[in-house]
Amino acid sequence: MSRINDVGGMAGFPPIVEEPDEPRFHADWEAHVFALNGALIKRGVYDLDEFRDAQERLPVAEYLGSSYYERWFAAITTLLAEKGIATPAELEP
Amino acid sequence: MTPFATGDRVRTRSADPAGHTRLPRYARGATGTVVQVAGSHPLADDRARGLVVDPQPVYHVRFAARDLFGAGDHTVTVELWHDHLEGPA
Amino acid sequence: MSEDHGSSLISARVRHVEALLEARGLLADGEIDTRIDEFAAGGTPANGARVVARAWVDAGFRERLLADANAALPEVGLSMAGGLQEQRLKVVANDVDEHHVLVCTLCSCYPIALLGPSPSWYKSEAYRSRVVRDPRSVLAEFGVTLPADTRISVWDASAESRYMVLPRRPEGTAALEEAALAALVTRKGLIGTALL
Repeated sequence: MSRINDVGGMAGFPPIVEEPDEPRFHADWEAHVFALNGALIKRGVYDLDEFRDAQERLPVAEYLGSSYYERWFAAITTLLAEKGIATPAELEP
Repeated sequence: MTPFATGDRVRTRSADPAGHTRLPRYARGATGTVVQVAGSHPLADDRARGLVVDPQPVYHVRFAARDLFGAGDHTVTVELWHDHLEGPA
Repeated sequence: MSEDHGSSLISARVRHVEALLEARGLLADGEIDTRIDEFAAGGTPANGARVVARAWVDAGFRERLLADANAALPEVGLSMAGGLQEQRLKVVANDVDEHHVLVCTLCSCYPIALLGPSPSWYKSEAYRSRVVRDPRSVLAEFGVTLPADTRISVWDASAESRYMVLPRRPEGTAALEEAALAALVTRKGLIGTALL
């Protein structure tokens, strides 16, 4: 079934907005999410395609309502739970 | 599988798969031209399901916008695995 | 960095997951910081600009770059092997007849080794949905208006290759040396959403 990430050619999105002098990351936690994902893929906990798949499976409203790295973190925690690394409860502070 | 070659006209699969796919929806069931063979890789659609599979050819396939969207004078080149192609067009 | 309430909430969640993974032996001490530092020291658009400037001054390099970019990159001290695995690079050259523009409609594939991290607009649904269908309008929003007879070629990075645009060399730059030429190349020029 078509997923929300598959937006090529879809109607309804607004004009493109550029952010002048955009930083690499907008907050420290984004850099940590980026690095965490790289570390887990390198360790073979999951692969890049499973990571993309986990983002695509987010509920549509959550996908569209989340920032780029919020989606990444949601995918990481989804995969950690599915791979049996930790329970969903353990993944929350 | 007989690999496609540069210049071949090909048709993409029209089915809407259940899970992850790297065949974008806008390029399903469309006819395009192989403009280059882009190496060989395991199909991402399978890897996303946790499968370990053999590499297969990957192609740059060029579509006329008109054939995808019914309008437009540009082209869109999509990179597709062999399994995304139904066969010659 | 200023952080609002939502940001501090997710910040705490990320820290918690990191600590949990360290406790379970899935992250080494300092591994995250090392990765962040490596990323900060990694690709920037200056890399892509160096490739372009060399291609402008050296016709042989240009030919090799367009034929097999991975094989040509070491000539300027670069490679696509720095990430999780070596990525195939395809360089597409703009000319008077054809203008190329890059997108990843399904996610956010991008040549980080040559361009650094991608801008948010490149990852936005707005750009990803619209540029494949109506590139002329999208380019106009970036201030790029092409002659009607210039063909537009959109490349969707839907599989393993990464792409970079080789922009046209600006007029009046015949006297410039390679380093000065590289300074004219912008990130958007390398994606195809700007002319130089």
